[in-house]
Amino acid sequence: MLSNKNIVITGALQGIGKTTLEYFASNGANVWACAQKPTYEFETFCKELEEKFCVWIKPVYFDLTNSDEMKAAVKTIQSSKQPVDALINIAGMAKDAIFHMVSMDTIKLVFEVNFFSQIQFSQYITKLMLRNPNPSSVVFVSSISALDGNVGQLAYGSSKAALIGAMKTMSKELASKGIRINVIAPGVIDTDMNKVVPQEVIDEKIQTMDIKRLGKPSEVASVLAFLASDLSKHITGQVIRIDGGIK
Amino acid sequence: MAKKLLEGKNAIVTGSARGIGHKTVEVFAAHGANIWACARTHSPEFDSYCTELAKKYSVTVKPVYFELTDLDQVKAAVKSIMEDKLPVDVLVNNAGITYNALFQMSTKELIDKTLNINFIAPYLFSQYIVKLMVRKGSGTVVNIASSAALDGNSGRSIYGASKASVICATKSMAEELGEKGIRANSIAPGITQTDMLSSMTDDVINETIMSTDSKQPGTPVDIANAALFLASDLSSYITGQVLRVDGGM
Repeated sequence: MLSNKNIVITGALQGIGKTTLEYFASNGANVWACAQKPTYEFETFCKELEEKFCVWIKPVYFDLTNSDEMKAAVKTIQSSKQPVDALINIAGMAKDAIFHMVSMDTIKLVFEVNFFSQIQFSQYITKLMLRNPNPSSVVFVSSISALDGNVGQLAYGSSKAALIGAMKTMSKELASKGIRINVIAPGVIDTDMNKVVPQEVIDEKIQTMDIKRLGKPSEVASVLAFLASDLSKHITGQVIRIDGGIK
Repeated sequence: MAKKLLEGKNAIVTGSARGIGHKTVEVFAAHGANIWACARTHSPEFDSYCTELAKKYSVTVKPVYFELTDLDQVKAAVKSIMEDKLPVDVLVNNAGITYNALFQMSTKELIDKTLNINFIAPYLFSQYIVKLMVRKGSGTVVNIASSAALDGNSGRSIYGASKASVICATKSMAEELGEKGIRANSIAPGITQTDMLSSMTDDVINETIMSTDSKQPGTPVDIANAALFLASDLSSYITGQVLRVDGGM
């Protein structure tokens, strides 16, 4: 599905990002795997994927909220002189607190990571994409919290909703130049992010789903692969819910 | 060769003789699916199209001919599918008609006809096929709707309403059948290069295309690929959704 495509994935160290990295490699993609800090396990993981699937995986380390580090990372990607075919923005953070308890500092921090830094990084990467003669694709990972609201997720949900607004404008500006922009909105996915949620809350949510179970990270990765691939070449400006039909 | 996404699956595609359905049969066959390719009228060209695809991709592509609005013919078609004794994994309800007329000009006859072909007939057909899926505890239904169902367009009140009915029924199906392992989703194509476009003037077509983000019309293969996505396990956690394939309308 992704043979010969070169793809930038942020937040590749863990959770959905790590699963996506593996899923993309198994489908033939070369990946710039972005993570905040180097670890031995991550380096080994990338090397193993390279050997197993005959692709290249280049770890790129930077703190998304550090402009200088980001610029250096973009330079690294650029200097490899490979066209960039897709950008998958997965890195993000959640900080839950009910509306009256959420501080402005928290909101600013969450927006910094989930919105501002992703927009800035996308500005740099789409500039590289404009030089790519082939069509390319950008995907942001939003959340059903952005669409439905969720108790305790004022900062998180708002930051993820901002991404949807940005995506729609980006699609209007860039789709005619060969860059498609879409958003996915995962529901309750079985990752560490949800480990902090009490089991009874999870059980209650499952009862409102058409598919009565949590989503798996690989079920998010497969949709990202579809959106990065040419199978979706006429899909742009969309929000795709991956939520098992939650109400 | 890239991974095949429907290897070993058995799929029913209605409206296979032309346009989006025709392409969907090809894309599905290329991805390893065995197909019951449903069409209204028997034709030697369609027979040989199916034979060629089957040979090319080493799958079974079986033409099934019936008039979707004739319940007796539908029952006979379902029976012939059941006689193959294969599990049905995928149903793509694609057959439909287009109809352009201003609100004040839409006659009862055309309203009945459009709703009958676009909504009632696939609804009843799905009841039969979903029964087979429930028995084995899995399956996915993909209904081809339209961006007109979501946006409302001049001259498209009845066509849009018929497709909006499909979307609504699909959501109910997702909720009722999710627990039984069945997913149901709709696709809303925008302007797509098929015979159906001939019901619109060139000016309207061009204007609509220029109003999209991509400034390009869709092709049948774009819709077929979206159907492939929703039919396959790539979308195993997606149900009750409408996927717009419209270049950003």
